[in-house]
Amino acid sequence: MATYSVHLKDDIGNKYERKNKYLLQLAQLDEKIKQEADSNKKTELLKERKSLVSNKKKHPHNIRLEEFRKKEGEFLNSLKSNVAEYKKTLSEKTNNQVKNLKTRMYHHEKRIDFYKEYSELTYEADFKYRESKIHVEQIPEIIDFIEGIEAELFQAIEAKDNLDPKDDARMKEDLKSFKKEAKEKRDKEIQKVKERRKEGIISSKAETNAIKEVKREYKNQVKLQEYKIPSKENKDFIRSKKRELANGIRRSEKVLKADVADTRRKIPVEFEKSRPVVAYATILLPGVGQLINGQRRKALFFILATLFSYFIAIPYALGYGNYQGEGVAGLISLAEGGARVDKSLIFMIEGVVAIFLVLIAIGLFYASFRDVLKTERRMIRGIRPTNWFETKRTIFQEGFPYVTSFPAMLVIIFIVLVPVITTFLLSFTNMNPQNQSKFTWVGVDNYKLIALGEGLAGSVFWLIFIWTIIWTLVATTLAILLGFFLALLVNNDRIKGKKFFRTIYILPWAVPAFITIMFFSIMVAPGGVITEILNSIFNSRIEIKNDTVLTRAALILIQGWLGSAYVFLLTTGVLQAIPGDLYEAADIDGASSFEKLRRITVPLVLFQIAPLLVTQYTFNFNNFSVIFLFNSGGPFDPQRYGNLAGSSDLLISYVYKLAFVNQYQAIAAAITIFISLGVMFFAFLGFRRSKGFKEGRL
Amino acid sequence: MALFSKKNKKEKGLYLSDKPPLTVAGIIGLVMSYTILFAWVLAIVWPLFQMVVSAFNGRQQQYIMGNENFEFSLRHFEFLYNETYYLTWVRNTLFIAISTALLTLVMVSFTGYAYSRYRFKGRKASLMAIMLIQTIPTFAGITAFFTMHSIVSSVIPAFSRQMMLILIYAGPAIASNTFILKGYIDSVSTELDDAAKIDGCSNFDIYRLIIMPIARPMLTIIALWSFIGPFMDYLLAKVLLTSPSTYTLAVGLFTLISDFRTMNQPAFAAGGLLTAIPIVIMFVVLQKQLVSGLTSGSVKG
Amino acid sequence: MKVIMKNLGKKYEGRENFTLRNINLEIDDQDFCVILGPSGCGKTTLLRMIAGLNSITEGDLYFDERRVNTIPPKDRDIAMVFQSYALYPHMTVYDNMAFSLVMRKERKKLIDERVKEAAKLLQIEEYLYAKPADISGGQRQRVALGRAIVRNPSVFLMDEPLSNLDAKLREHMRVELVRLHKSLGTTSIYVTHDQTEAMTMATKIILLDDGKIQQVGKPEEFYNKPENIFVARFIGSPTINIIKGKYKGGKFVSETDTIALTPSKEDAEYLKDFEGKEISIGIRPERFESGGEFGDTFEATIDVIEMLGKEKTLFATLKDGSDLVISTPGHYDYKEGETHTFGFDIKAIHYFDSETGERINR
Repeated sequence: MATYSVHLKDDIGNKYERKNKYLLQLAQLDEKIKQEADSNKKTELLKERKSLVSNKKKHPHNIRLEEFRKKEGEFLNSLKSNVAEYKKTLSEKTNNQVKNLKTRMYHHEKRIDFYKEYSELTYEADFKYRESKIHVEQIPEIIDFIEGIEAELFQAIEAKDNLDPKDDARMKEDLKSFKKEAKEKRDKEIQKVKERRKEGIISSKAETNAIKEVKREYKNQVKLQEYKIPSKENKDFIRSKKRELANGIRRSEKVLKADVADTRRKIPVEFEKSRPVVAYATILLPGVGQLINGQRRKALFFILATLFSYFIAIPYALGYGNYQGEGVAGLISLAEGGARVDKSLIFMIEGVVAIFLVLIAIGLFYASFRDVLKTERRMIRGIRPTNWFETKRTIFQEGFPYVTSFPAMLVIIFIVLVPVITTFLLSFTNMNPQNQSKFTWVGVDNYKLIALGEGLAGSVFWLIFIWTIIWTLVATTLAILLGFFLALLVNNDRIKGKKFFRTIYILPWAVPAFITIMFFSIMVAPGGVITEILNSIFNSRIEIKNDTVLTRAALILIQGWLGSAYVFLLTTGVLQAIPGDLYEAADIDGASSFEKLRRITVPLVLFQIAPLLVTQYTFNFNNFSVIFLFNSGGPFDPQRYGNLAGSSDLLISYVYKLAFVNQYQAIAAAITIFISLGVMFFAFLGFRRSKGFKEGRL
Repeated sequence: MALFSKKNKKEKGLYLSDKPPLTVAGIIGLVMSYTILFAWVLAIVWPLFQMVVSAFNGRQQQYIMGNENFEFSLRHFEFLYNETYYLTWVRNTLFIAISTALLTLVMVSFTGYAYSRYRFKGRKASLMAIMLIQTIPTFAGITAFFTMHSIVSSVIPAFSRQMMLILIYAGPAIASNTFILKGYIDSVSTELDDAAKIDGCSNFDIYRLIIMPIARPMLTIIALWSFIGPFMDYLLAKVLLTSPSTYTLAVGLFTLISDFRTMNQPAFAAGGLLTAIPIVIMFVVLQKQLVSGLTSGSVKG
Repeated sequence: MKVIMKNLGKKYEGRENFTLRNINLEIDDQDFCVILGPSGCGKTTLLRMIAGLNSITEGDLYFDERRVNTIPPKDRDIAMVFQSYALYPHMTVYDNMAFSLVMRKERKKLIDERVKEAAKLLQIEEYLYAKPADISGGQRQRVALGRAIVRNPSVFLMDEPLSNLDAKLREHMRVELVRLHKSLGTTSIYVTHDQTEAMTMATKIILLDDGKIQQVGKPEEFYNKPENIFVARFIGSPTINIIKGKYKGGKFVSETDTIALTPSKEDAEYLKDFEGKEISIGIRPERFESGGEFGDTFEATIDVIEMLGKEKTLFATLKDGSDLVISTPGHYDYKEGETHTFGFDIKAIHYFDSETGERINR
């Protein structure tokens, strides 16, 4: 049985006495019942309570409440016509805004007279009384303010009519000559500054700053002089007064609303409600709950959520409005037995999208439920629900992040999550050359195929995997060692022409990789420049791209060439930041150059760029471009690699070939998931070690 | 005057360098260093030089040979201009790159600011989620991209493959750059926000007039990186773009050396040269900013 | 403009207790009011509530007759100087100072006049078009002041503005700030944890501890009539000596009987009700003497002497090992290790109730 509390509380914890005597009695009984140990007395009390409730309508307080409500109805009716009458009595000449304000003033004065009588009876009357009081206190000020500014405006407008165009013209002439003078002055100043620079008194930075300053000053002066023209000055004045008026009114209204909001926080509500029924009852209809609680404008937003859920999310999930799919059901059926045009992949994707939509809808339901529940619970305690002004304030203060991040989140969800999940699901199907348009679920068959190295596609998996690992380690390490070594050499104090070397050495990084890779590919083709040179040196007829070992070696060298530039750049940046004192201290301690390198340089540099080096490894693991563009993953070696892959293929280029050339999408998906998990794992490890994560400062 | 003093100093045999004098081993080491350094310069410059020369060598035919017979000519460039879609490819790539950069920039400016300056429910959770999403390799979803595009374009015909590509590039870019920008804005003291509030700024004013101008260096870096990304990508563009007139530079130029029917290697050299020059200039001029963007992101997490 | 706080309270969402509660204060027009207190006492929170940067949970804040609880900071006619100056780094000094007026869309002429005027007053005309990063700390602080002055505020708020300056500059700026305050004729509210700043600059001090007001009044009152032990300890350097003990038979006896003291006639009146109770006495280091009216003396051995030139600070221990700090004129002859006899100036003794910490004698 739900109980009432004797006191009402607000959100800070202050206590208020109940005004509703009927509820007070109930509450007091409830308290006694709670504390009563003796079961006989308890039953007595419960009986008393029951009779009290059944005689609710006859309770003196409730009778007076009824009267009050009746009288209130009458009052509000007559008020409308009274106010309209009053409005007519206002002079025609009065400004519209002032008219409205005066009418509001009248409205609230009448309210004060009425509700004052009943403020002891119920908190509702008390609140309305105080609300009107605030209006009555603050509106006169606003009226005065408006009338004051209007008077000033009126004067200014009159003055405008009395302006002599000849004055204007004269001032404009003055302006022209002033501008000329000021310009000469400015140019002279700039000259002076330049002289000082030439004589070496000031630095070049100071020169730029000083010139900027002089130009600013000139612009300022001219602007000020412009405003001396009478017509401009007058226009400016009128404009700023109008703005002052608008701003002032807006500000005062805001303060008014804020003060009313304050009062809302201070005057409790008293309801016969003791359980948050509405929240649970309207859980499936966001917006209705808010409406019942009296928060109309907030309800509008949540009603949008309802519309979205019932007209978009759920129908889509059930299959309506799908491009081809059947919503969530499509995930299971995968277009089996469907029309010829129906594609399983589309069914699958639409199924995934449907699930996301449903999740979003559920989220919205939950958010609305929580909101209504919170409002209701607080109402039971005595806290007045928030009005639209307060909600709007909260949204602007705290809602900003939600609103602005929302589009970005959408993009991320649909571009990253949906495809990845699709691929994941795809790996459990049998999409292959025979099952292109339609395929079915086959569980973990594909993974088994890969793991055991069976079948057309699975047999080469491990071979390729091993080569991928070797490639990653060797190529990346080569690039790192090269880049590091070169950076050290160039950074040596005694080497001259540092800038020259540094500019050249970052060229491999600066020139888009695909261009250089493709060009290397041309140069080592039969008849290509490099091939010819090598052939003439070694007196042979090598064809690099037809030999597995040579191709692999070439790839590693090329990647070393490409990657070293990046490492060089990073290392150089860090090396330049190492304080010289460290080396000097080491010199005093008697360290040799090698030891200095080993114990100071290497650790410091590595520590700084380690996370970036890790990304180099993951980058090369999936380095599609160099493998594919150089030799399409070849050369072909059907004996060992079958028909689907070449001998220099990485897992990723193999995946590409499987999926896009040979149409074994399902197995490709399985391998993709395998690779992705690995990459994510290592990236996550790298993250955990990074500074920001460690300090927990998210 | 300078010459005289040098001679004088030499005569007096004064050792003026700040560093200790070189031993024999030191001199050998120095010579070796220079040798290695210049060797590497050669290793870098020679292939690039070959490409440049081939592009201008009128004697080159479909397959590029050695450049011993050199005859200056611009015909490969003309071929590129007239017979291929080169200019269209440039336009496509620029369109995609600029759109990606703009989209990323706008979204990241909001999310970075929101995560830095506001404490809201789900902040920590969503931040962690973004971190994890960052690590998902983009190609993990390629099989789905193509089909997804078909679905969307059936509803919104104006949604082209290129637009899909832009979204694909922007998605992960937004995720990772939010972190970096957030870290940067974190370092801006909140007292500035307070002062701005007292001076009369609304939340949006603070974002617009105070925080964003201060974050401009970082925003520039983010824009640069997201602009460069699409230039360098081959795989995703190849998967999504199917008609030659929609190709990006990477895909388009590759057809000049991969497909027997459209083979023209010197034209490829010409195209590669043209594409490389502006990018190289950009990289060389902005190398400091680009690198600092990398290191600050990783060190600060 | 008067600033009146009626029963002000602040409770952060999600925290159990109120950070500030029952703050009742009246700051008069043109007062230089210092809100003083140790770290975490709530003084910055109070200042921010006056500024409008933090919301007011309960109570009312009035500027003159106007209730300003719900008025946003920009409309309260205030200006604030922050501890780190909070200058906009991407704007010139001129733009920094003009910013608030630009946001209010004032006329260009007016803005220029005000900025130039403030620049002249603070002697920063030379840097008007420089950026904050290009000028020194002291100059930046003056720009922050300039930015505040330009608004012609009725209330000047300052949050530990001197703490980032070096010692000499701080001394100089203390005087400058007071001079500025007087010439502008505004009400100033200044937050600090440094009691020297408070004592030298304030016309009224409010000492806070743990969200509660400990004492309000003029600096002399704090020094000569501290309301409780906390206040007595906080104000005054070197710190006051507090000795615990009992009041028995019209005499104060310290816990270990090392010190016995007979109060003056006036003080004894107040102490009547404390017969047999635990009280503490407070003595400022400079109020010891040789020999007292009733001859109450004690012995102390000098451990460390700090020689300050015009005075000496003796760190001494009593027979029972407890510490005492004694200030003497610099030309007196004391050496470390010596034992001397000291007495009290019984007119300068502060009596406190040990349990509540409240002052007994008035």
